[in-house]
Amino acid sequence: MDLTGGRLNVIAEEGEQQDFSRQSSTMEAYRAVPEPGERTFQRFSVNTNESLRFEPCEDSCPSPTGAEDGHDDVFDKGEYEDEIISIRNQLQGKVTEMENFAGHLEEIFLTVEENFGRREQHLEQHYNDVLQTLSQRYDERASGLQEEKKAKLESLYSQLLVCGQALDASKELIETAQEIYRCQDKRLFLKTVMPTIKRVEEFAKEDVDLALSTGLEFSTPIADLSDVKTMMDSINIVPAPSAPVINPQLPNSATQTSLHVCWSLFSDDTVEYYELYYRPVLEDVSAENTFAPQESKIKVKETHCTVTDLLPNAQYELWVTATNTTGISPASEKALYMTVPSPPVIKQRECSSCPEAALIRWESGNTNPVDSYTVELSETGTGGAKSNITESIVAVPTCQCMIQLQAGRHYLIFVRAVNVGGPSDRSEPISISTTGTFFYLLEDTAHPCLSMSEDGFTIFYGDEELPITAMAFEDNTFTRCVAILGDLIPVRGRHYWEVEVDDETEFRVGVAYKDADRDSYLGANNSSWCMRHIRTPSRHKYEFLHNGWSPDLRITAHPLRIGVALDYDRGTLSFFNANLEQHLHTFHCHFQNYVHPCFSLDNPGALTLHNGIAAPDYAFI
Amino acid sequence: MEHHKGGGGFSDVMTLNGLRLSRSVLRLVGELTKLKKLTLCLSKPEESLRSAMALTQVSSNKCAGGFQKVFEHESTELKCKMKFAIYLPPKAETDKCPVFYWLSGLTCTEQNFITKAGSQLAAAEQGIIIVAPDTSPRGCNIEGEDESWDFGTGAGFYVDATQEPWKTNYRMYSYVTDELPKLINANFPTDPDRMSISGHSMGGHGALICALKNPGKYKAVSAFAPICNPVQCPWGQKAFTGYLGSDRSTWEAYDATVLAGSYSGPQLDILIDQGRDDQFLSASQLLPDNLIAVCSEKKIPVVFRLQPGYDHSYFFIYSFMNDHIKHHAKYLNA
Repeated sequence: MDLTGGRLNVIAEEGEQQDFSRQSSTMEAYRAVPEPGERTFQRFSVNTNESLRFEPCEDSCPSPTGAEDGHDDVFDKGEYEDEIISIRNQLQGKVTEMENFAGHLEEIFLTVEENFGRREQHLEQHYNDVLQTLSQRYDERASGLQEEKKAKLESLYSQLLVCGQALDASKELIETAQEIYRCQDKRLFLKTVMPTIKRVEEFAKEDVDLALSTGLEFSTPIADLSDVKTMMDSINIVPAPSAPVINPQLPNSATQTSLHVCWSLFSDDTVEYYELYYRPVLEDVSAENTFAPQESKIKVKETHCTVTDLLPNAQYELWVTATNTTGISPASEKALYMTVPSPPVIKQRECSSCPEAALIRWESGNTNPVDSYTVELSETGTGGAKSNITESIVAVPTCQCMIQLQAGRHYLIFVRAVNVGGPSDRSEPISISTTGTFFYLLEDTAHPCLSMSEDGFTIFYGDEELPITAMAFEDNTFTRCVAILGDLIPVRGRHYWEVEVDDETEFRVGVAYKDADRDSYLGANNSSWCMRHIRTPSRHKYEFLHNGWSPDLRITAHPLRIGVALDYDRGTLSFFNANLEQHLHTFHCHFQNYVHPCFSLDNPGALTLHNGIAAPDYAFI
Repeated sequence: MEHHKGGGGFSDVMTLNGLRLSRSVLRLVGELTKLKKLTLCLSKPEESLRSAMALTQVSSNKCAGGFQKVFEHESTELKCKMKFAIYLPPKAETDKCPVFYWLSGLTCTEQNFITKAGSQLAAAEQGIIIVAPDTSPRGCNIEGEDESWDFGTGAGFYVDATQEPWKTNYRMYSYVTDELPKLINANFPTDPDRMSISGHSMGGHGALICALKNPGKYKAVSAFAPICNPVQCPWGQKAFTGYLGSDRSTWEAYDATVLAGSYSGPQLDILIDQGRDDQFLSASQLLPDNLIAVCSEKKIPVVFRLQPGYDHSYFFIYSFMNDHIKHHAKYLNA
């Protein structure tokens, strides 16, 4: 390593030399560097200026003041200074790069060495195995031959004995015959000759087996060396890998439709490719559902893989096998991975806001439950330029979130769904302006005779009378008063909205508790407060109704745009002629519960709600 | 010690000289100040005017964090000594404040409003100065001025009289719209551009005509149980005959209902409170319906509130004073 480092230093230094030679005539002294060692290099790299001023081979360290002087002398032209500094920085960067490279090389070297050692050991072991097998075979064969030889000798010997006996018997027979032949006594001769002849005849009949009972050849079976051959062959190939180890899921490694899976092998193993198996884990596998999800397989060379085309917010079971020329490893443990959810969908029509806060509601976007949601908001500048995320609210358990905001700003709000696999993509944004209070009308409260414009801010009471049977009354709808409630954000602050009507419209506008009696007129009970306009043939009449009672007042200029100002803190509900900025009436009531804006038409006509407008100063005096 | 003693003698001399010096300096400074005052007086002719508009404080009481004061001055319009009440909110100590003029009803002095209407807390909160003048010249020794409660003393009706013997002194309209505002603006921390007017009964009539006759002069106007159509009611007919003569056409210049019919100018926003149990309402002295009818026709914005159970008294005024101060504050502090 030292050696490598030294070499790199030299290279770096040469680079410097080349660059500086253009700039300075004092380079002559610099070129005289005899032996650039570690030490000199350091000095150059730390401060190149100083090396130009001082004899570089000097061992004594130059003083910092000297360095400054040198700087002044040589680089009194400031224009070069920047260039030199940048070149020096570049060179220093190169040096670091090369050092890194050398380090990397060294690492590789070590790995090669290590692998070689392991390989050598492996080979040696294999050869030992082969030799051992061969010697074992030799021993086996030698002892077999020995046995055979012994058996053959034994049988030959016994044959020899039989031959000897036969020889003896014939010799005795010949002697007996000769004896009889020499016998003088004819009568005795005659008497004994006949049996002897018989015996000779018999003897002649006896066929002495003179063939060799055993073959002289040794049977040498063909040596079966196939196993040895395999062993010899297997010296060149590696053992089948062992089961890989599949890693648990890493954070942020999954997307909606893909999973990034990593595993590792034992360092001794050589693997040609891996096979990754996966299948979805169905949580509701009931007894009758015998259909097991089909497992899929991917062949990869790396120890990681991105599985695509998956279902969002779903759990997958994954395992991996390794294969090389020798064989397939056992399967790894099964790991559970999860794809991230689909992005939620903000329900624009169910969001509301006021200068201090916004209430955002959304749909999960996933059929199965997710762990939580993250709400992100970014403030948008006046030019509409998007800024970065300014705030995140994490671990929102339900599909709605109240966010504190600052008045008079513009925000973009996004929602992400989160499970163990990580967060989903952002939902489509909702744009919130905190200039005023903004809300939509609650369509489920609307009397059946009311219809709404497409934008949801104008309500109509049509001319034709619906037969009572045609009216679909639900639990939440107004049944007597042709009314609808607004979905005001539940913030106990100040709220302002305006209602536009025409001269002849008979209306009631105000606020009501959410559970206000649906079977009574607005203002007729103690859970609603409203301004009412009545058109009589002679004049316009205005009432400010609560609990069925109204103060007696006359308004000379007919308001066509009514400002409604609700102040929870002071417990006031004020009405204004917004066009004239004229105060009409104020209810004083400490609203115990949250109220909702209410609007009704007492006769066919239309009424338009104006929302999200800044409350005028006079509204809350 | 010795050395110190010697030194001490020297410093005594110094001190003596120093004293002499400082005394002469003081004298010089004194002369200078006198001179400065003199030149100031010479260069400012209003100074002499101010002396003519000199105010005499009659009373001063701390009230709602500020001061309720009464002043007396020599009126050039009315040719008599007049008193007015002024409430200075705490804000007036540091800032210029808008002024709310209150015109009282028949028989009243500057005292009724400040002791009974309960306006000071709201005025302190909104930072509004309230000026409440008397209702007529007093002590002018005009024959018959004290004969009835609804004519003469305490019943100036906020008109400039044209008839003898009233025309010299009974110039309440000019007094409240011209002389008094000038006097107030010259002596108190006011914002002359922000003034409004209100009143009760005869003062309600006064407030309405002042606003209707001077478009833009008053930022806001309101009234409690005003005499809306004096030309048509006994009180108005009696007073106008006396002050303006028998030519009814001259009366119309001081009739809110008539004036509303011909009003053109900046948008007004008129708040009127009326007690339903007001005896003078049923006696047809106030006639608010006539005004409302004209305002409806002319689209002059009026909120007219008929308050059930209330009569014509200051108890009624007290009950809705806050609403009126708020109504004025909306325009005065806009």
